[in-house]
Amino acid sequence: MTRRSLAPLIGIVVFLAAWEGFVRAFHVRKFILRAPSSAVNYLWRFRGDYLHASWVTVQHSILGLLFALMIALVIGALLASNRFAERATQPILLLIQVVPWIAYVSSVVVWLGSGTAPALFMVTLVCVPAFVFATVDGMRSVEPATLELMSSVDASRSEVLWRVRLPSAAPTLFTTARFNVGLALAIAYYVEGANFANEGIGAIGRSAASSSDPFAADRLWASIFSIAVVGIVALLLLSLLERTVLHWHAAQRTERR
Amino acid sequence: MSNVVLDGLNKSFGDLAVLDNVSLEIAAGSFVSFIGPSGCGKTTLVRVVAGLEAATSGSVLVDGAPPRLARAYKRVGLVPQQPGLLPWRTVRANAHLLLDVNRHANPPDAANPNTLLREVGLGDFMEAYPHELSGGMQQRVALVRALALHAPLLVMDEPFAALDEITRAEMRGLLNQLVESRGVTVLFVTHNISEAVALSDRVVVCSPRPARVVADIAIDLPRPRSSDVEDDARFVALCADVRHALHGAMRP
Repeated sequence: MTRRSLAPLIGIVVFLAAWEGFVRAFHVRKFILRAPSSAVNYLWRFRGDYLHASWVTVQHSILGLLFALMIALVIGALLASNRFAERATQPILLLIQVVPWIAYVSSVVVWLGSGTAPALFMVTLVCVPAFVFATVDGMRSVEPATLELMSSVDASRSEVLWRVRLPSAAPTLFTTARFNVGLALAIAYYVEGANFANEGIGAIGRSAASSSDPFAADRLWASIFSIAVVGIVALLLLSLLERTVLHWHAAQRTERR
Repeated sequence: MSNVVLDGLNKSFGDLAVLDNVSLEIAAGSFVSFIGPSGCGKTTLVRVVAGLEAATSGSVLVDGAPPRLARAYKRVGLVPQQPGLLPWRTVRANAHLLLDVNRHANPPDAANPNTLLREVGLGDFMEAYPHELSGGMQQRVALVRALALHAPLLVMDEPFAALDEITRAEMRGLLNQLVESRGVTVLFVTHNISEAVALSDRVVVCSPRPARVVADIAIDLPRPRSSDVEDDARFVALCADVRHALHGAMRP
């Protein structure tokens, strides 16, 4: 293992050790902060339950992200070629982005009922705007010389879209995806807790937070650890994909050096 | 080979006149350079011929057809000032780009880009990406990309302007060699006098904006041309002719 890949591991170990030491030394109340050792211990004991719950949460957040990406690509492609449509759509997208999703999430749960539907809907809805902005910006970042070249042989709009504009949007889309992963997990976690379906990490967290049994704190902190692992794995996979897909991009090249 | 006929060509962007009554007849298979002070409208002139810009009045015919048609039938190979390579495509795929779009207009005798890449010395770089190439190599890919169309007309807009002097000289030799063996018509925009003379059969000198033709100088240097041509006394004399015409044009 190289020194470079060792560094983040050392960082995490030091952080967890400091946390553990702090909780033990100051006898912090269970609910406020659980020592990592007991949370991990509990997590391991009920690993089947947490694995299943994590899988549910992964489906909510990752599927929602993929839906959002697909919708955003279609909207983005339309907006990139039409300034008027872009100006008309921008306020709606900005509204979705600035109004805290947590403010209207209970209405959506009432509307869509319990289970997967509200979680998927919320993740998709809230992740769309950033993806749309990334698509439009990326598609517009094409060099004018390249567009000129394409029109010198009468390339059709769809040929330009597929061969030039969409690939140009890939770098901004990856950056946005990284930001959206955290958002998607937060939304999935919250909606799972609020939609009375008892599925997903969020449901465990929510029931633990409102319970007073002696293991509630362990359950809560085990759910926090689970969602952290899901998030880290998602980000790692995303960087791996980015490195393969964007090996030609300047940002990836400097990173590898 | 295409012949190109410009007749009373005018172009203005709003109130700004860019081309002023340009009439020229360009014989099939000739290499014609357009030289003039920067911003004079010479780029606009070749863009009109390539069908990328419409003339305000007057006519352009490429082999008897309007540029719009020449473009639709892929009869114009464009080499822009910036190579404009797609960074996610390999050299091979970039050389192929123009054949990959508007496919039904591909000529049956389209050149094989791989052969061309070898011909310009990029045989070992087919799987490389643009960022791994020098500026000169990138511009060679752009050249191959245009030649691969097997278009009878090449439109080159200051293709070597961003290159260093040594690479530029090398590219001159390469371009001469490529067009001499193909008999293609070339319209070449430059503001480098010796480049224009070394490459062309004819140098058209343009006035400051709006561009008018102020001189039309035949370059009767023998072909095939090697880089030694630049030591020739006639080469030096022709450069002087072009320079005088250019200076004459600059004076109000």
